[in-house]
Amino acid sequence: MWSWDFAISILPQLLQAMVVTIEATIVGFIVATVLGLFWTICRRSSIKPLKFAVVAIVEFVRSTPLLVQLYFIFFVFPTFGITLSPFSAGVLGLGLHYSTYLTEVFRTGIDSIPKGQWEASTALNLSKIKVWTHVIMPQAIPPIIPMLGNYFIVMFKETPLLSAISIVEMVQAAQIIGSNSFRYVEAFTDVGVIFLLLSYPASLLFQYTERRIQHRFDLSVKASKIEEDHYATNK
Amino acid sequence: MDANMAIFNGLLKGLGVTLQVLIYSVLLALVLSFIIGFMSLSKWRIPRWSATLFIEVFRGTSLLVQLFWLYFSLPILGIRLPAMLVGVLGLGLNYGAYGAVVVRTSIRAVPKGQTEASIALNMSPYRRMRSVILPQAFLIMLPTFSNLTIELLKGTSLISLVTLADLTFQALALRSATMETTQIFIYLLIIYFIIAYPITLGFRWLEKKQSVGRG
Amino acid sequence: MPRTSDASLLNQEPYVKYRNIGMKFGDTEVMKGINFDILSGEKVAMIGPSGSGKTTLARMLMTLEKPTEGTIEIGGKLLWHRRANGKLVDANLKHLRQVRGQIGMVFQQYNLFPHMTILRNVMEAQVHVLGLTKKEAEDRARKILKKVGLEHKCDAYPAQLSGGQQQRVAMARAVVMKPKIMLFDEVTSALDPELVGEVLEVIREIAEEDEMAMLLITHEMAFARDIADRVVFMADGQIIEQGPPEQIFNYPQHQRTKNFLSRFSTEFH
Ligand SMILES: Nc1ncnc2c1ncn2[C@@H]1O[C@H](COP(=O)(O)OP(=O)(O)OP(=O)(O)O)[C@@H](O)[C@H]1O
Ligand SMILES: [Mg+2]
Repeated sequence: MWSWDFAISILPQLLQAMVVTIEATIVGFIVATVLGLFWTICRRSSIKPLKFAVVAIVEFVRSTPLLVQLYFIFFVFPTFGITLSPFSAGVLGLGLHYSTYLTEVFRTGIDSIPKGQWEASTALNLSKIKVWTHVIMPQAIPPIIPMLGNYFIVMFKETPLLSAISIVEMVQAAQIIGSNSFRYVEAFTDVGVIFLLLSYPASLLFQYTERRIQHRFDLSVKASKIEEDHYATNK
Repeated sequence: MDANMAIFNGLLKGLGVTLQVLIYSVLLALVLSFIIGFMSLSKWRIPRWSATLFIEVFRGTSLLVQLFWLYFSLPILGIRLPAMLVGVLGLGLNYGAYGAVVVRTSIRAVPKGQTEASIALNMSPYRRMRSVILPQAFLIMLPTFSNLTIELLKGTSLISLVTLADLTFQALALRSATMETTQIFIYLLIIYFIIAYPITLGFRWLEKKQSVGRG
Repeated sequence: MPRTSDASLLNQEPYVKYRNIGMKFGDTEVMKGINFDILSGEKVAMIGPSGSGKTTLARMLMTLEKPTEGTIEIGGKLLWHRRANGKLVDANLKHLRQVRGQIGMVFQQYNLFPHMTILRNVMEAQVHVLGLTKKEAEDRARKILKKVGLEHKCDAYPAQLSGGQQQRVAMARAVVMKPKIMLFDEVTSALDPELVGEVLEVIREIAEEDEMAMLLITHEMAFARDIADRVVFMADGQIIEQGPPEQIFNYPQHQRTKNFLSRFSTEFH
């Protein structure tokens, strides 16, 4: 029933699709980071309506399915004259959805900076931009790198949804193979194994760096627990 | 107006399926979370290793891959399940793995002094878990379980891809029937949000109720 | 209650017997060859510098830490072991639970159950371990809470109490189980200085009224001298010296004891 020959013979095809999967993850992650930082800055702004609007957008995007958001971008945007290629629509959706998670991560990083750092910056009369680029961000980013890495893996595992808007990533490739050969078991098992082989070592790596970084930055036990929960929740 | 009604009725039909799948898979995930979570805390190797295997496999492969695997592969292996069961099974197994980690982390997060005090009072291991550790771990679990439930709700949209007629599936069907694309998808997003919001509020209420008096 | 004289102590069979106890954490040996007895009803104060092994010795008796060597007997029964065909084997849970019923402990960090009211904290083990009815357990709980001066706090949660009050609840919770021996591990050292007195007062009351033996690990020298029948000085995982309080505090024999006590000297002269 299970054919090793077939399972191996389709690997080149699947690995080709894996390139698309990884591309989508990387571009999506960049979009998510940029948007996430943007949300974070808006939420710290003193303009109340802007703050409120961003909080609402983030809450709404986070509470509704990525799949529906992908359809929305792919089907609804064109009716307003914005036609995107499936890949662009895909990474935009993926990036937008996960930007609402990353903004929380950035916030955690920034909130963990002691008040004294802000006060010292004021005392040194640093400009606002300098404070952010030279004092706050260099301290806020390193401790959250493992969390960011974890979301990278999460996004990687979400890319199969892009198959719904006709991007030929691994799942779509497996489906094509399956419908041509009726050998779905081999095709989807292969894809599952590839996902596991890529995501599991990566998550171990980030767990390891997390421990190292925590050690270095002496984050409290409580913070580490919240992080772990964070991961647990937001696969 | 008529088109509006048609869209509404169509989506309402899907809502029933979405809610049904949501409830069943939340229950399955919850049961699995505790079983696998306890297994992963066992002092014996075999249950601990099986739990780790379960957790890593279901977290490490993608939910959609798991759903497709169950949907396409099981019949070929001679196991025929109704589509609804495939959806519930896929979602339950996947989120059960995430939930197991939450259970494990929360139980470990209860201070060691609580275990020691229970031993000093000569409580049985069952009583210790039941009266002392679990009630405290439960409070730690709640916020994360709240997030997980929302994640699961969003995950139910994936069952439309294995031909279950849920909200998302109905929306796609209505779109090809009426071409009212914008309207349909805006409604769809709003409906998901309306389901999600009370879940969040409910968990917050539960958390508040559970933490009475606990500083 | 008149203090038991040394002569009568000598004729009694000890209630607790530590025999040749050794303890390793990983590769570090923290104690070796300890022999130590406690008589029924005896109040023993244990003093010594930080890291000398006092807590470890108490935790072994409470079955929280298993000695890596030697045996402990309580009331004529082995604690951590059981004899099978003339050989010593590790005791199972059933055996531990049976023997553990004789022992109670109060911790430095109180360890009250934060999700239960004060009343339930004191009732829980009575109901589920002693098998009392809720009614009986509640009556006894209220009575003992009254004794420690907290009957008005029955419905409060631990977080709403001061440290001293929490520690008094912890004592009520342990005493209500009627152990034959009670372990106190620096129960006042997490407290603000002004709250220490109220907790010591409760211990003194328990010591005077109750028949149970006590092992009191403490840095409150004046208090130790006051209530103890015997003082034990520990250092570096060894029992250096022991005897009646007057002897240890006024005429210590060993240099280590003298050095240690000189730090507290203002309290005695
Ligand atoms: N769980 C443990 N792991 C490793 N070492 C330990 C552990 N518990 C105790 N120790 C070591 O055993 C020795 C005795 O510790 P113990 O806590 O019994 O001392 P103590 O006399 O109670 O000190 P203190 O007055 O500070 O409470 C110390 O050197 C300590 O570092
Ligand atoms: Mg100690």
